[in-house]
Amino acid sequence: MNAFDLLMLVATAAIPMSALLAPIAFGRWLLVAAYAVELGLLFMLTPGDATRSAVAFQLLGNDVGWQLDALGWFFAVITVGAAGFSAAFAAGEWSAANGRQGLSLRWLYGGLQINVLAMLLLLSSADFISLFIGWELTSWSGLILMLLAGGQAIRAALRYIVYALAGGMAVFAGMLVTQAHVGSLQFAALSAAAPNLPNTALWSITLLFVLGFAVKMAILPFHLWQPPAYAYSPGPASAFLGSISARMGLFGIALVAIKLIGLGQLLTLSLWRDVVDLRDILLWVAALTAILPTYVAMRQNDARLLLSWHGVGQGGYMLLGLMIADSLGNAGGLLHVFNYASYQVILLLAVFAVIHRTGTADLNRLGGLVARMPLTFLAMLVGIIGLAGLPPMNGFVSKWMIYRSLVSEGMPLLFVATVISTLGTVLSVYKLLHNTFLGQLRLEHVEVKEAPWSMTIPMLLLCVVVFVTGVAPGLVLSHVASVQQAIGLEPVNYILGGIESPAGSLDMLWISGILFAGFGIGALLFYGFGGRSKRVHQLDNYAGGHFLTADVRYQYSDNFYAGLMHRIRPWYRNSFVWLESSLVSAVGAAGMLARGFFKQANPAQWALVGTTVVMTWMMWHALG
Amino acid sequence: MHWAELLFELTVMPLVAFVVGLFMVLMMRKIGARLQRRVGPPLLQPLYDIIKLYGKQTQTSHGLLHEIGIVMAVGGYVAAETLLPVPGMNGIAEKGGMITLLYLTMIPSLGLALGVGQCANPNGSIGISRALTAMLAYDIPFVIVIAGVAMHFGTTNLVDVITQQQSGGFESWGVTQMPLLALAGLFALQGMLGKQPFEIYVAPAEIATGPMVEMGGKFLGGLFVMQCFQLYTASVLYVTLFLGGGENWITFLAKAFAVLLIPMSVAFLFPRYRTEDMITMLWKWPVALGLLGLVFIGQ
Repeated sequence: MNAFDLLMLVATAAIPMSALLAPIAFGRWLLVAAYAVELGLLFMLTPGDATRSAVAFQLLGNDVGWQLDALGWFFAVITVGAAGFSAAFAAGEWSAANGRQGLSLRWLYGGLQINVLAMLLLLSSADFISLFIGWELTSWSGLILMLLAGGQAIRAALRYIVYALAGGMAVFAGMLVTQAHVGSLQFAALSAAAPNLPNTALWSITLLFVLGFAVKMAILPFHLWQPPAYAYSPGPASAFLGSISARMGLFGIALVAIKLIGLGQLLTLSLWRDVVDLRDILLWVAALTAILPTYVAMRQNDARLLLSWHGVGQGGYMLLGLMIADSLGNAGGLLHVFNYASYQVILLLAVFAVIHRTGTADLNRLGGLVARMPLTFLAMLVGIIGLAGLPPMNGFVSKWMIYRSLVSEGMPLLFVATVISTLGTVLSVYKLLHNTFLGQLRLEHVEVKEAPWSMTIPMLLLCVVVFVTGVAPGLVLSHVASVQQAIGLEPVNYILGGIESPAGSLDMLWISGILFAGFGIGALLFYGFGGRSKRVHQLDNYAGGHFLTADVRYQYSDNFYAGLMHRIRPWYRNSFVWLESSLVSAVGAAGMLARGFFKQANPAQWALVGTTVVMTWMMWHALG
Repeated sequence: MHWAELLFELTVMPLVAFVVGLFMVLMMRKIGARLQRRVGPPLLQPLYDIIKLYGKQTQTSHGLLHEIGIVMAVGGYVAAETLLPVPGMNGIAEKGGMITLLYLTMIPSLGLALGVGQCANPNGSIGISRALTAMLAYDIPFVIVIAGVAMHFGTTNLVDVITQQQSGGFESWGVTQMPLLALAGLFALQGMLGKQPFEIYVAPAEIATGPMVEMGGKFLGGLFVMQCFQLYTASVLYVTLFLGGGENWITFLAKAFAVLLIPMSVAFLFPRYRTEDMITMLWKWPVALGLLGLVFIGQ
């Protein structure tokens, strides 16, 4: 039995174990250990050595099996890591408290492990049939986690499953078209046939698969389901889904559109002369996905929704990076998958730690918690620096790679678009941090304590990951380079500190070193010179000619960017919400018509409609 | 490069920036005074001000983060200066480039925002919300400028940008090659410096100086130092992108001070815009100029 079979066996065996052990505190730590074992097994694998699973069968003349290449391996490590950290966060007091309130821990831990297994199956698929099996399992297992919380989560989950089914149908249709034109559902068959396929076949295969995967990825205009579905899931489930689940769509796009069909082929699919091709459209859709949801996030008052909307926006970055033809850009897009997952887990976990202590994620009902929950604050600070893409955290590196390659590939407008998204993110995450941890402390939160160690340690460990991979991005870039090789792209030229290139380099070892040296000098100047500062109590404040007492609420939180909103509010038109609801009405109307026809509720009316149609058709022909 | 030489550059570059920045503050106050028919402060007044602020007896701290905010505000700029080449010294400019510098200079602002947030003063929070909005407003034209310059010179490396301009002479300077972008950059510079008409986030009469409201003693002293660095960074970056950098210290300083003359004169002649008007203004004219300038890049 090879390491891959062992990995799948552990992941499968952990599901009944979860159902059995989850209600016991020690058992939950054992389940966390299972994730550590899975991660260890992943690192024992040498991806791309073509070890196929022992489980394999034949279906419709196709070999169906599983095998992990470098692309799948990269996503698998992130998946298992995100699940492990989320599970560890919940293993202690969180589960005890939420279990008392009626959350089913068996389903939570079991569901998490089912999701991981489904994703591993998807990521290691070796042909279209195993891909479809993995895809559907991933979609349905996500539903388990979303349904757990009850309440508004159920509405979100039902909306999700409609989208997921539609996406699954598109993928299935893509498979049918592939079968019709290629005659086989093996990956190798499509990649061999792709250069000679007629344009229409290539268009329909690419579009169907990309549409199907884009739904999962929440690319515009298929994004509305994602923020509520991920935000309202219970803590660890939300962190896991929010950080990696949607990236399965990116995996699919990387696999089908880049590895099998090829980026070069996308350039030949031109829409209008030679000016606009399919890749251009994907680039701009990705750029819009990076911008619009970010500015929706800025207006959210629920911390979980705010972060989930950012999740949609960050997906746009990844697709944008992946679709840039040069190696720096698509390395940036792939690296962003890892970076984003690492800080999004921290951010969501930090929000759930705050909810655990205060009972709310409403950004208008928090504030001033920095002195009460300093470690959670630190975790969120590291997370927001990552999400905003500022040095020295890892989010900066991947975004920098995308910026630089957009500039050197001669796409300045897309570069400006990505920076507009980043600036929006900076504003939005400061609002998140300010309204939660800074400003006025509410009287009812004076007694709030720091989150327990079982929650802070996983967050802080991930902070170390975010920081270390920000200072030494070469650690992850080595894997990114092998992913690029596996999907037929030119591998990026990297050094431990980042990128070295005549068109502009980045060495984070130096940048971070000098930044911390600068902080050292700043600290020396501040603490070494001048009078001694005297600390006043957090509730001892004075403004506008009055001593401010704690019972008067003066926290500036609602409509935080009032001036900006004054200017851009008319631009929020809810067009996508309108689009979705008009689709729902159209489907509803069609359903009503079909039911009326089927039940023959009013035969005379149908006879009239039928006659009118026939008469019109006849007249049309008679006149024509 | 020998490590001792590098260490020397890394030490001297921020020091130069600070000293030059002090004189830039002096120049700003002198211009203001002359426009208002006053004499203005003496030569060393900015330095005296910093010493006075550091030496004050009452130094109110609202907590550790309040102090760390000031440390980050000063320290971030100390670090950023080593990415900005000056005559004869490149520091670690080749390890970063203009995009890195753009994002590195957000770190001091983030530090300030954290420090102000800890103070729990609503005026401070309003000030930060407005300052971040201003950043969104002026950075959009500024990144258009950055994109154009990087494409024109084919690199984001500031050292190469300077070399290309100096070897080609005046005709190859950014300002002669890309006059529209240079003009757009000037608008962005005005916003970046936070001077009138774009200083709604300070608005003393309305929100009691916004971010500065809880800053006294060396907290305000730290912000004063930050302002010196800010003036220096903005003007030297502009000189680097558009005016060929400095061939030697004399032309370098002459250019750096000359660039600042424009925003400073404008600042004392105009009242301030409201936030939404500032956004409209910065998203209209400089963005239009910048986009038009981009069209001519690579032609």
